[in-house]
Formats: sequence, structure tokens, C-alpha cells
Amino acid sequence: MEPIISIKNLYKSYGQKLVLKGINLDIYPGQVIGYIGPNGAGKSTTVKILCGLISDYEGQVSVKGINLKENAVAVKSYIGYIPELAELYDVLTPVEFLSLMAELYNMDATIAQERMTKMLSAFGLQANMNDRMDTFSKGMKQKVLITSGLLHNPDIIILDEPLSGLDANSVIIVKDLISKLAKDGKTIFYCSHMMDVVEKVSDRIVLIDEGAVIANGSFEELQQQQGNESLEKIFAHLTAKESLSKAADELMSAFD
Amino acid sequence: MNIFNKILLKLVLFPSGLYTRMGVNVNHLKAILTTKLMMDDRRPNSFQQMQQKRRKKTISTATLSTMLMALIAGGLFAFISALLDNTLTKFTIYFSFYITFLASILIADFTSVLIDVRDSYIILPKPVTDRTFVLSRLLHIFIHVCKIVLPMALPGAVIFVINYGAWAIAAFAPMVLTATLFTIFLINACYILILKITTPQKFQNIISYIQIAFAIFFYACYQLVPRMMGRFSGLDISRGKAIILLPPFWFAGGWQQIYSPANSIQLWCCLLLSFAVPLFSLWLVIKYFAPAFNQKLAMIGGGTTEGTALNKVVKKEKSTSSYSQRLAGLITRHGAERSGFIFTWKMMLRSRDFKMKVYPAIGYMIVILVLMFFNMRGLTLNDISLQDDKGRIAILIVIYFSNLLLVSALGQITLSDKFKAAWVFFTAPVDVPGKILSGAIKAAISQFFFPVAAVTLIALISLAGISVIPNALFGICNELLITGVSAYFIADKLPFSSPQSIRSSSKGMLRVFSVMIIGSLLAVLQYILYKITPVIIILTILSAVASWMVFDSIKKYTWKKVQRRYEE
Repeated sequence: MEPIISIKNLYKSYGQKLVLKGINLDIYPGQVIGYIGPNGAGKSTTVKILCGLISDYEGQVSVKGINLKENAVAVKSYIGYIPELAELYDVLTPVEFLSLMAELYNMDATIAQERMTKMLSAFGLQANMNDRMDTFSKGMKQKVLITSGLLHNPDIIILDEPLSGLDANSVIIVKDLISKLAKDGKTIFYCSHMMDVVEKVSDRIVLIDEGAVIANGSFEELQQQQGNESLEKIFAHLTAKESLSKAADELMSAFD
Repeated sequence: MNIFNKILLKLVLFPSGLYTRMGVNVNHLKAILTTKLMMDDRRPNSFQQMQQKRRKKTISTATLSTMLMALIAGGLFAFISALLDNTLTKFTIYFSFYITFLASILIADFTSVLIDVRDSYIILPKPVTDRTFVLSRLLHIFIHVCKIVLPMALPGAVIFVINYGAWAIAAFAPMVLTATLFTIFLINACYILILKITTPQKFQNIISYIQIAFAIFFYACYQLVPRMMGRFSGLDISRGKAIILLPPFWFAGGWQQIYSPANSIQLWCCLLLSFAVPLFSLWLVIKYFAPAFNQKLAMIGGGTTEGTALNKVVKKEKSTSSYSQRLAGLITRHGAERSGFIFTWKMMLRSRDFKMKVYPAIGYMIVILVLMFFNMRGLTLNDISLQDDKGRIAILIVIYFSNLLLVSALGQITLSDKFKAAWVFFTAPVDVPGKILSGAIKAAISQFFFPVAAVTLIALISLAGISVIPNALFGICNELLITGVSAYFIADKLPFSSPQSIRSSSKGMLRVFSVMIIGSLLAVLQYILYKITPVIIILTILSAVASWMVFDSIKKYTWKKVQRRYEE
């Protein structure tokens, strides 16, 4: 089977700082990839490259056989990007914002309208569909963002901390949604710091640290390699520079 | 969308066939422009921002308000310049105002409206081609500028047609166009220069300072220009040798040369410069500066920790206690009062919102003082030195106006957009919130009154000798007393803990007037008693004691009293 996303020797630097140091990754259709790593590891940069936000990188990235550098627009039409608590044009209402999204994805207006109504209702935002988003809470805005990323029924969905700001019920909805999307054959690239969620939803976990992939496999495979522990502990073993318990001791010693 | 946006949108989408041939997706272009114009209508301009915050009302007519503001401004410029006799002077003044006003609007609008960094996250991940995106931006800028320029130029066009006939328009229109292009270049150049010499993070602060400077400039013009019209109505500006270096003169000369061609090298130069410089400079911006400019501008909107290249080593603190901490140690007590002082001191220096509201008062103060001296005919330095009638009035004006900045600051120290962060005060075990308030007020006095009072005292002593000291000190003590009394009523909430509201604003205005009236009464009393030094000394002591008592009563504010203020 051909990978739906293929990343080969991906390098990216900001000035003197090399942020991605030769990422190699093949993602197959229908997989849910948990992309995890400490702050500053290179997760956001990888995601931005995949979404076409960064074009000055070295290496090869192709999506559905299309070279990202050669035809970014075609690649973007296959991807739904759901960022973490990102900026919205918050003077707009959800309907106005999503209509713009629909138009940019060349969706039929009727289908778009129907779909956004159903999705916003499922998220409990039916009463707020025509309210300006500058009055919305964090969670409400995140629900609109999730809707905007899924509206055009993309084959590839990239989520960056999608559960941030959501209440418990909405978290259950989104987790269930990810499973159902995967069963439907969608490919999901899921970035998060919530290890318990990543552990449960991901078919494969890719751990990145300091711009390089340091672990790549299913949760069971990682457990076999690193010991039969939770993903949180595996993450700590592989990425913590010093003992975390020691760090906690040092914090406590501040009270002495 | 309002009618003007609809008309302009139709106008710019008219050559859709051409756009399609250029490789632009016209449907995407229309969707982006429609959304941007809708957002423009709902995004208040800097004048409306205050109104919106106070009323908590959404705005949907921002475009119309901006156009009205531009129309009124244009009418004012045209009217003022029409009072002048000499044509070149008239048009130079007109284009000076035109360029300055347009620049003052665009300098803020560029980051907030025209180059919206959110586009990177919202539009760019979508399948929109670069050409479509760039064209949408350019057309949005074009529409936005038209909405300011057309109403602003209209009154001028009408007045100049009345004065010079219909042909005046044929000369006026191209000059307005090139002056607009030149202003856009100036703003671009200003942005590029700022981004070159500072970081994207400090960028917004610098833009705020520039806006403050514009606010002071326009206030000064508002006060001084009408008064100067009488003296300079016959001035012929073209006689100055260096006048050719002034860009507004190019457009004035260009107008003259198109309207009524003359065999004048100066005017031919003006005509050439008025076309060549704007077009060349725009080409420069697009060709060489725009790519790096866009990249840096994207960083203003924030980014991830990954992108920030740490070039500088963090500077080591020179001493463990900063100036504010040393000052707090001298004039406040340890605990809540000192914390309130240091917190307020740093917030006043760092809060862009606070600076935008208070710092223009520095300029207004200087303008008002200059105006008052301008109006006091026959006043000389000798009058001040002798402290005769005129001299005494001048001295008292300087002393009693010196706290204008402080009153302005006191009106703002309880207010903030980030007022919710004040939860820290309510959850901390502070027994008497008055201590925090006292610290905050002392910080405001230290930052905005003591330096002004010191400069005033030094200036008065150098002009009038040490005999002025008793009256100067009496005036300063009275100022402190007035400040204490106004703080008792204005600064009755914790620092930076309350949102802006119409009520707070109108209360603030009322108190400024009250302060001015009380100050005026005290100034009159001091004028009467000026020469009676023993009485002045006794009253100085009484004033100082009264000030101390007022500040002490603020320190005793209880939670019950403070909470009541928030509930009102």
C-alpha cells in the first residue's frame, strides 16, 4: 500500500537554529497517528509544513502522491487542519466564518449550509450560530474550529490539541468522532500533550524530540521496547533531560 | 455590508476576466474580500474603540463612521487652507494636513486591518493560490484607502472648484492620487524601518508611540493653527529656498503646474517629483522590501517557541533592586502598600493601553501652556523674574497646570482591558485594600508629578530666584492636596482592576473639571496672598498636613468600601 503522507529527510531551520533534523515518516490511509513530543520539539513546525504554511524547508513531502512544494494548493484541498485555540475572525458569526471556509474549499453552498447546521447543532451551538464569536467562550470557539476543519470532509485531518478548552462531554464527542473518522478511512494526524488520550485513540505513536523522531510504533510496540508502562512514563524516559522527581524535590526545597 | 462597500467591491471585481487570466480564483477572491469588508464594518476605528468598550455594544457601521470622520477632517483642511491668500501656500498646507491625517489612520490600520496576521492561520491552510491571496490583500488595501481618501478629498475638491473653476479638479485628482501613494509608501517605509531596528514584539509599542505623537500634533494644530491664520494669511511659501524638499510642496506645485502651466523650473520640478517619487518608492517597496516585510509582520502576530531564534543572551541584572523598588522602599511601608506601588509602577510603564490614554496628556499640557503664554501679550522673562502681576499669573499657571498629567493618570490606573487578572488581589490575604491603593497612588505621583514638579521648581528658581521657593512649594503642596482629594474619589478601586465604561469615563471627566475648578480657586487665593510670605509658609504647612491626612484616609479603605465600588 502507498503511504498517503510521505515525509523524507525533512529539515527546517529558523536562522541558525535547526528545528527539524531529518524527519522520515510514512503514514498510511486510515491510520491515526499520535504525534507527541516536548515543547519546542518540532511538532508545530512539522504540522505547519504539512498544512502548507511553511514552504522553505528541505526534503520531500508528498500527500496522496502530490509533491507539496510543486502543488501546495492541491494538497491543501485534501487536508482539514484543526489548530489549538487558534485565531478566528471573531467579529464574524459561526455561519459567516464557516461559509467563508466552505467557499475556499469550493464546496456547494447548500451542502455546506446543511453540514454546518448539523455539526454546530451536534456541538450544542445551534442557538449561537448567528452570534458574533467575540462573545464566545474558549470551548465554543474550539468547537467552531473543529467544525471548520471537518466541514469539507477531508481525507486527512490534522489536529493540534483539539480537546483544549472543551468540557468533558465535548471531549467524549470528539474522541468518539476521531474513532469513527478513522473507521471511515480518514487519516488522522493528532498532536497532543494528553498522553492518556493519545494512548487510547492512536494506531501508531510518533515521538519527536529536538527535531528528530526518537520512537515510532504502536503503543504495544513501544511498551515492548521501553517497559510495560504508561505512555506518560515512556515519554518521560525518552525525553526528560533530568529526573522529574528531582525537579519536584527542588521545587519543594524552595519552601525550606 | 453597507452601500459603499458594495459599490467598491463591485468596482474592484469588474475586471474579473482579467483576474482569471492572471490565474486568480475569482470565487475565492470575492469570498475573501466580502468577509474582509464585513469585518471592517464591525471593527471599530480608534475613535470608536473607546465608545464600544464603554457601551459594550457591537458596532456594525465602522466604515460609515470612518468615512464621516474623513469627510469632516477633509472639510477642516480645505477650510483652513482656503483662508490663505497665496495659492502655493494654500495647497502646501492642504496636502500637509492630508498626508499627516491619512498617515495617522493608516499607521494603525496596517497591522490591525490591512495585513491581518490571522490570515496566515485561517486562509493560507486552505486551497487558495498565492496570487489570489496577494490580490485579495492589495484590493482590500485599495478599497480601505478609497473609503478614507474619497470623502477626505471631496470637500477640498468642492472648495477648490468654487475658487478656481472646474479645471481645478483635473489638477487636483492626480495630485490626491499621488499624495495617497506617497503616504502609503511612507507608512510602509516607517514599518520597515521599525522592523529593522527593533523586534516584532516591540513593534506594537513603537506604533503606539507614533499614534500618541500624531494625537498631540493634531491637538496642537487644532489649538494653534486658527490663531496663526491671521498672522500668516499672506505668506508665500515658495520663496523659501529649501521648500522644494517638502513633499506637500511637490503636490502643491504639481497642482499649480497642471492648472496653470508656468515657465518656472521650481514648478516643473514639483510636477516631476509629485509623480516620480510616489511611483518609484512604491516600486521599491514591492520589489525589494515586501517579502521580508511580510515575514517579519507574521512574527508580530505571535508564534511557537520553535521559531524564536535566541540570538541574545539574557542580560544579567545589574543590581538586585531596581529603581522602583528603591523608591518604594523610601516612601511606602513593607507589605501590601509596597506591592501596590511596584505593581502599579511597572504596569504604568508597560501597559500599552495605559500609555495610549495618558501620554498624550504630556503633549496637551505643553500645548496648553504654550497657548496660554502665546495669549498673554506683553509677558516677558523680566516679569517672571520680578514676580510682578503678569509674572505671578504666569508662575501660578505653570504650577497649577503641572498636575494635569497626574490627574489623567489617576483616572486610568484603576482601568484595564485585562481587568480580570486582578483576581490576585481578591484572593491574596490583604487585610486592608487601602494599602494597595495608597501604593498605587504614590506610584502615580512619583512617576507623573514629582519629575514635573522638580523641573517646574528648578525652572522657576532659575528665572525668579530663591524668593519664589515659598510660593512654589505652597503650589506644589496644594497640587498634592488636590491630587489626594481627587484620588479619594477617582482611584477608589484596586489598580488595573476595572473595565472601561461610559460611567467611568464621564465620572473621570467630571472630576478633571472639578480638579481644575478647585485648582483655579486655590491659584486665585495664592495670587492674592502671594507677597505675604509668612502666611504662605503657614498655609504650605497646613496644606502639607491636609495632604498627608487625605492620603492616610485612603490607606484605611476597607474591603467593604472597595467591594461596593465594584458593585455600583
